[in-house]
Amino acid sequence: MTTISAAQRGAQRERRRMRINATPYLFLLVPLAVYFIWIVFPMLFSVYLSLTNWDGISPIPAPNALSLDNYNRLFTDRDFGVSFGNNVKWMIVFLTVPTTVGLGLAMIFNTDIRGSRWFKISFYAPLILSFVVIGTIWAWIYEPRAGLLNSVIVGVSQLLASIFPFVTPLERGPGWLADRNLALWSIMGAAVWRQCGYVMILYLAGLKNLDPSLIEAARVDGANGWQLFRRVIFPLLGPITTVVIVVSVIDSLRAFDLVQVMTRGGPGGASNVLANFMYIEAFNNYNFGYGASIAVVLLGLSLFIVVPYLYRTVKTELEY
Amino acid sequence: MKKLLNRRFLVLAAVLIAVVVVAGVSAQDSLIRYASNASDEGPRGQDEAMVARWNEQHPDQPIEHSVTDHEAFKQAIRTYLVADPAPDVLTWFAGNRMAFFVDRGLAADLSPLYEREGWYDSYAPGFVALATAGEGQYFVPTSYYWWAMYFRRSIMEANGLTAPATWDELLATCDTLSAAGITPITIGTRAPWTAAAWFDFLNMRINGPEFHINLMLLKESYTDERVVAVFDHWRQLYEHNCFLPDSAAYEWQEALDFMNRGEAAMYLMGDFIRDSVPDEIESDLDFEMFPVINPDMPIGIDAPTDGFFMSAASGNPEGAYDFLAFIGSAEEQQFAADNLGRLPTRMDVDTSGFSEAQQKGIGLVQSADYVAQFYDRDTTPEMAEAGLNAFAEFISDPMNADVTALLESLEADRVRIAAEQAAE
Repeated sequence: MTTISAAQRGAQRERRRMRINATPYLFLLVPLAVYFIWIVFPMLFSVYLSLTNWDGISPIPAPNALSLDNYNRLFTDRDFGVSFGNNVKWMIVFLTVPTTVGLGLAMIFNTDIRGSRWFKISFYAPLILSFVVIGTIWAWIYEPRAGLLNSVIVGVSQLLASIFPFVTPLERGPGWLADRNLALWSIMGAAVWRQCGYVMILYLAGLKNLDPSLIEAARVDGANGWQLFRRVIFPLLGPITTVVIVVSVIDSLRAFDLVQVMTRGGPGGASNVLANFMYIEAFNNYNFGYGASIAVVLLGLSLFIVVPYLYRTVKTELEY
Repeated sequence: MKKLLNRRFLVLAAVLIAVVVVAGVSAQDSLIRYASNASDEGPRGQDEAMVARWNEQHPDQPIEHSVTDHEAFKQAIRTYLVADPAPDVLTWFAGNRMAFFVDRGLAADLSPLYEREGWYDSYAPGFVALATAGEGQYFVPTSYYWWAMYFRRSIMEANGLTAPATWDELLATCDTLSAAGITPITIGTRAPWTAAAWFDFLNMRINGPEFHINLMLLKESYTDERVVAVFDHWRQLYEHNCFLPDSAAYEWQEALDFMNRGEAAMYLMGDFIRDSVPDEIESDLDFEMFPVINPDMPIGIDAPTDGFFMSAASGNPEGAYDFLAFIGSAEEQQFAADNLGRLPTRMDVDTSGFSEAQQKGIGLVQSADYVAQFYDRDTTPEMAEAGLNAFAEFISDPMNADVTALLESLEADRVRIAAEQAAE
């Protein structure tokens, strides 16, 4: 042991330092590899596939057979236009209805009204159900002849008719999911029902973190309820609102489960959305190339909205 | 000493693992993977009984039996076939659905099996032809069934009606029934293939089976005025309130409930309707050929053939052969015919004990001039999807639907798909 020279000792120290420096990267190697294999590579591969006419079974076409045919077809495809429009409608609804209702609910249940815990749980409960379950339940509610909704509508109309002679009772209610003009909105009804509770929980968490001294200060300055909300609470909830908006946008772009379960995009494509359109093209029609091009458009849309958000988040994080 | 023990332990463990792996592999060798789409109650019982009979007779060649939902199977099968190990034996449909996999080299040539089992002689020639692609046979057609206009005898009689045999009679029947507060024809189009039956029969009755099958083969145009005529007739049915409203809200079985409850009288359906009808109603259920529209045209009928095939990547081809030989045997076809009422494809199955309905169904098919499979089996999967969507769009608002635009869109799909096929 005593015969180790100074040079050897130096080399040993050097090696140790290198080992220390390499360690975090060694640990990162596995997650990074997994990330590249399962996230980055498939993403890039989808872009590649979108330039081919691969059917999902035959060998994958070689790079010399690439073309933009799929994208040309996309922009003339009526189904694509309808699906895209439906995603936009979905996004507009998601950015307005559940956000407002969720915030309202949060404001109400943040006070000490009686049974607020019970109400909170009730509004949150839909979130523990899977989309498939929600879709199935709502499909029953919308069932045209014996469903809950139409039973109530027809029942009320008959009740009104028995009281007021000038009212003609309804024979039957709307077709909801079977009606081209109502199908998409009916599905969104189920989606909004779930989303409201989600937004409520996000805002409740935000409200709990507000500095009470600011609110007290506003009260002392004589702010009324609306002013307090408009000038103090809502601005303080700004970061939460950003999260809510991003979540709403992402959720509306990836809408798939409810559509697949409730109408499968029908009747005749009227309630189709991009994700479902992609699924049908790739897995039902064996058009993986075309399906991939839809996926790329979806990816582009998501990036367009999510990247500014991420940029902003990272920037604000650095400021702390 | 301790080290030695450790080493000995390691060697022992290695040997054990090797034994388990080898045993596992050899056990898998005799395993036959069977992927089935028999998810409805009746077919499922038949399917399970068939596997049970096999297992009883062949304890050394166990079956790994997996059943997938009938609709989901159509999509999942694509991944099954390229999986490793692929299922050895699978249920499937004759016609274009089978051709799709044969063209891509995913189905095994079964001509040695046909030879070995003497099936060239025992199967009806039409069905051998249906299984043939090029030189080989790739499919074991085991049963077929017919599509017809089903109706509740009691409801028709109560309204002084008989099954409509002509177009005018059909319209008059609709008028009478809807005036009596009964839905003349029930239909569930949530999965829109039920609507395709109407297209098939209207097209065959108006334009004849030859035009129909050429349209299925993408050789005729969807903007042809003959196709427009089909939609004109279809719309007339809606003008006469023939159909259940909001049909897109119901699966075909849910729509059948209206008939079971006596609120609807007729249903254009395949004979598998019988699987979902309660026993007490079944005796009241009758069927007739779809009404004649143009008497000059030959009579076509949809009679889809179901069966089995073997994946080209089968890890156990010998086991698959044995199991297919068993499935295609006269005994098994007899069981299937007796249990489910499907019709056998072999000529040596004893039909004397068949029910009245089966005898009538055989008569129906034999009296037809042309036997088609079904819209989504006769045309390519992609064209079928586009067509079904267009039908669904039409019947969701038949009075205002822009048929011209629908057909132009279908025609664009047909031209593109035909061009892609030609390029392959």
